[in-house]
Amino acid sequence: MKQLTRALIAVLIVSFILIITVNKLNAAQGYSGGNTLTIFNWGDYIDQDLIKRFEKETGIKVIYETFDSNEAMLTKIEQGGTSYDIAIPSEYAIDKMIKEDLLIPIDHSKVPNLKYIDPRFMDLSFDPNNDYSVPYFWGTVGIAYNKAMIGDIEITSWDDLWDPKFKNQILIVDGAREVMGMSLNSLGYSLNDTDEKHLIEAKEKLDLLTPNIKAIVGDEIRMLLENGEAGIGLVWSGVAQEIMWENEDVEYVVPEEGSNLWFDNMVIPKTSKNPEAAHQFINFMLDPEIAAQNTEYVGYSTPNKGALKYMDEEVISDDRFYPDEELTAKLEVYENLGKRMLAYYNDLFLEFKMHPK
Amino acid sequence: MKKKSKLSSIYLVIVFLILYAPIFYLMFYSFNSGGTMYQFEGFTLDWYRELFDDTRLLIIVLNTVIIALLSAVISTILGVAGALAIYYARRRRVKNTLLSLNNVLIVSPDVIIGASFLILFTIIGIKLGFVSVLLAHIAFSVPIVVIMVLPKIEEMSTSMIYAALDLGASRWDVLTKVILPYITPGIFAGFFMALTYSLDDFAVTFFVTGNGFTTLSVEIYSLARRGVSLNINALSTLLFVFTMILVVGYYFVTKRNNRSNGLGVKL
Repeated sequence: MKQLTRALIAVLIVSFILIITVNKLNAAQGYSGGNTLTIFNWGDYIDQDLIKRFEKETGIKVIYETFDSNEAMLTKIEQGGTSYDIAIPSEYAIDKMIKEDLLIPIDHSKVPNLKYIDPRFMDLSFDPNNDYSVPYFWGTVGIAYNKAMIGDIEITSWDDLWDPKFKNQILIVDGAREVMGMSLNSLGYSLNDTDEKHLIEAKEKLDLLTPNIKAIVGDEIRMLLENGEAGIGLVWSGVAQEIMWENEDVEYVVPEEGSNLWFDNMVIPKTSKNPEAAHQFINFMLDPEIAAQNTEYVGYSTPNKGALKYMDEEVISDDRFYPDEELTAKLEVYENLGKRMLAYYNDLFLEFKMHPK
Repeated sequence: MKKKSKLSSIYLVIVFLILYAPIFYLMFYSFNSGGTMYQFEGFTLDWYRELFDDTRLLIIVLNTVIIALLSAVISTILGVAGALAIYYARRRRVKNTLLSLNNVLIVSPDVIIGASFLILFTIIGIKLGFVSVLLAHIAFSVPIVVIMVLPKIEEMSTSMIYAALDLGASRWDVLTKVILPYITPGIFAGFFMALTYSLDDFAVTFFVTGNGFTTLSVEIYSLARRGVSLNINALSTLLFVFTMILVVGYYFVTKRNNRSNGLGVKL
């Protein structure tokens, strides 16, 4: 018994000391004040120095939390019990959140810096007039390829992937929309095509690609391509950028037939307790200089036109990540196809995955 | 005989190599001055420095430890009480039912438990955060403590209790001076199991964190999407060393206790 009591007291004392330490640290961060802003963002998707700067400039304390997928974020917000003031979902999730009435409209008069956003990225199908969301980062889907591994070949189109010389060399991300989209685009159809005949045609074309495919993988695709496990990968531009930082042999291309244009936008969920601060934060992040600093840290493409002049000339002239008007005109944003059509996409994708090599 | 023991020690070495290789691999790269896990460029302590500069991450680590300690203590107390109740259940059928219900909780998937807690908490209006995580961790730890403690109670001879009662001990005395000292090893085992379960649980915790409160497993998971930075290696190294110290410390404490107690009754 003595031993047990002693152990119990020891554990309680240690916990007590830890709680005091945490409170001290929190106080040092200034988290204890009443005026707070809770942000729900992807992991490692903001320059933390900017949060400190925002706290200093406005006196609002920021509580920062992270999620790893749109679905995870949606679950948390739909269920309630949280008080996120800002969330940063991708376009299809925004569409869903608007339809389910989970968002507070953004008061444009409180976000004057909205004028810096490139008009190309405003007023898109998932949120006409940008009533509910403001672009944070954007990018494309394309092909990353390792020049040292596949030889000095220039890949320019989706069709190049079907070349028999790339046997067992291609990694693709495990996403129905991405992979079906690639095939649809290579056939000259839209990414959002709902004609079943076209979809079956696209799936049959994918089947022909199977000899070239090494694996269908998740987020580890980045590491595999960095390490040179495969020569070619179907990836998002953000991932490609990170691969290229680590491995200089890797190139990225947005195929000429067109591809997907994706967005992560800032929104204010209905659960927000401090919409005033949320507007302030959105406006803060849209400030050209701040957007430039954040872009430098995160490395994805910024939709902020004003930010470009604060950034490295080399970065913004890189048409792999800042494609010109001509190519962006060919890029399409995913539309919400509805449950039934999405299930059809998923079925076809599953069939393709099961197709024998 | 000798040959056999040689073979078994080789086997043991191989098993431990397999178990520990990934951990040492991870620790090795926490000193890498390059930014990645596949090219060692040079020795540096930068990742450790970065780790200690990152107050947010430190708060998360401390929160994780606090939750683990508190939930382990509370669930140990509840679990011991539960195990005693199951042991003393008169009818065999009641006993078996209780035990089965306990086992169902152990084998039910974490995701289901987590999602149910999320729904429960939001319905009854508990704000997600420290309290919700603590409650959830206690909930999934109690059944584990029960099955760690129960065999110890069953192993105990009932004549010891009768002897104590015959000698004039009150029920309270029987509990604190006979039963609890006897099952102490089981209680400690339960406590440490609960502690480790709480430390690395992701699936349940993921659903019940919120409002600025999060634990290490959830944080690392959301970092993993963009590639885990090497300061997580540094953090893992520190945690590993810390647990090593704890285990070694615990070993010496029990060794000393055993010696001093000798053959006598442990009090």
